[in-house]
Amino acid sequence: MTVKVEVIEGGVPHTKIMIGGLIVALVCIYLTYVNQLTGMQGFAFFGGLGAVAAIIWGSHTIKHLCSYGIGTGVPSAGMMAFGSGVIAMLFATKFGVAAPIVAIIIAAIIGAILGYLANNVLSMHIPVMIQSLIEMAIIGALTLMGFSAMISGSFTFNALTSGTVTILGLALPSYQVSLIGGGIIASIFMLGGIAIQHPFNACLGPNWTQDRMLTLAAECGFLSMIAAAIMSLALIDTYAALISLIIAVIGWYYTYVKYLALSKRDAAGWLDSKPIPELEGH
Amino acid sequence: MSAIGAKPAAGGSLDPKAAIIGIIILIIIIALAYVLVGASFAFMALIGIIIGGILIGFGVHFVPVGGAPAAMGQAPGIATGVAMLAAGAGLAGLFGGAWAYAAETPDLVVSVVTGAIGGGLMMAITCFFVTFIYVYGMGIPCASGKVLKDPLTGDTQPEYKSQGTEGHGLPFISWVGGVVGGLFGGAGGTLIYIMLLDVYKGALPGMMDAQAAQILPIAISLAGIFAVGMFLVNAVLAAYNITGTIEGPHDPKFKRFPRDIIASAVASAVCGIVAIMIVAM
Repeated sequence: MTVKVEVIEGGVPHTKIMIGGLIVALVCIYLTYVNQLTGMQGFAFFGGLGAVAAIIWGSHTIKHLCSYGIGTGVPSAGMMAFGSGVIAMLFATKFGVAAPIVAIIIAAIIGAILGYLANNVLSMHIPVMIQSLIEMAIIGALTLMGFSAMISGSFTFNALTSGTVTILGLALPSYQVSLIGGGIIASIFMLGGIAIQHPFNACLGPNWTQDRMLTLAAECGFLSMIAAAIMSLALIDTYAALISLIIAVIGWYYTYVKYLALSKRDAAGWLDSKPIPELEGH
Repeated sequence: MSAIGAKPAAGGSLDPKAAIIGIIILIIIIALAYVLVGASFAFMALIGIIIGGILIGFGVHFVPVGGAPAAMGQAPGIATGVAMLAAGAGLAGLFGGAWAYAAETPDLVVSVVTGAIGGGLMMAITCFFVTFIYVYGMGIPCASGKVLKDPLTGDTQPEYKSQGTEGHGLPFISWVGGVVGGLFGGAGGTLIYIMLLDVYKGALPGMMDAQAAQILPIAISLAGIFAVGMFLVNAVLAAYNITGTIEGPHDPKFKRFPRDIIASAVASAVCGIVAIMIVAM
């Protein structure tokens, strides 16, 4: 369908959110690399913050795309983002320190081809389709990479596939105790996928407001981050996982209270009108 | 214009120019894979992945999707989106196929058939309970609005169709379509998984300097997550082709499937070459 359903515009323009989300996510994911430089694991939580930034950007991209009435439901956009993003992200982890940038480039190429297929081969003819699917693939890749870095402390292929297991005080290498070998990547795939499609699905309608939707996106992101922080207990040092957990809970509580306040602001006025009075003599 | 008044721009015809560009991209990717990995097993795996993607894309067109109107009894089909239904059927099949392939002497054909049965079974159970809820829960008969007679049973439809609706419930042809779609989806998802699993099982031990048994969890997890990713990409592309609701193989929208076969083949090739390059580079 080519008819734009919603005309509500205003607030921060999409380009600004896109650039902001991209830079914050990239910088936060790179900050987890301080782990490697210092030999500590306390900086892992930055990966989660990067993923939250990507999720906020992603919810606005979904709004941008789905306001054209693509007719397949909002969740399909989130599934598309992570389906294409996971492929780009896992391939990019092979490139060591350049991984986040390679992930963006590969995701952009995959997204562009998928966008062309949807727009021209499948004749969708939606003006923002190609750009949106490029963004969605990048967002999916960055979200997964952020959560991966937060859970395992690093974003390189070797760190994601190998871990150590301690038996009787003896540290042994194990491939099963790792982000990919343990299948944790499947959990963060769905955690991110649900967090990214929920905000617009929940807020769409004639009283859609940008700040409310973006706050809900941040809340969903932090909620996923809490789950990721608990999973990270299995792979990184306890103190680093606890830092992630505390930051995630604080972030979630702050955004939850804010979202509740914004929901009350946007809700219709409710007046106690009482039943129609039965007057005598009428 | 409102959303209700908007007509889908996507017609039934194939845009020849876009289709040719799509096929050229497909040939370029296959040629690139041949140059990079030669006529090895990895190259054959890419072909397998493309076939799997086509099976998924084609299978999705059989699945009766009603969306929100179906929940209100105003359109035939299952009351949810294409991507959700396809993912449910395909992933249920993938689990079945993966289980069969974990046998001591894994067999490709047996595993793909097991995957197909898993997907078909999931759709059969879903369609059964949907019909049960429609008939006994909502009290509506199953009738198609797109055809006068059910192509399989010959039952007439218009007498049972409520005015102002496009039909309701899950007519027999839609039920059969759902099961056939599940068979194709489950087979396609399993084929992609097995192809990638064999590539990773062959290449990872040398790459990571470890024994085959140690590397197995990583090979299974990588192949599984890539298969899920490609499955969702193909399912969403098919959903874009259908744009909303479809009753099954008798629906006029079903005739759009050639476009999706090109799109699924290209998308699977793009994702497949990246997934193979992770070990081939």
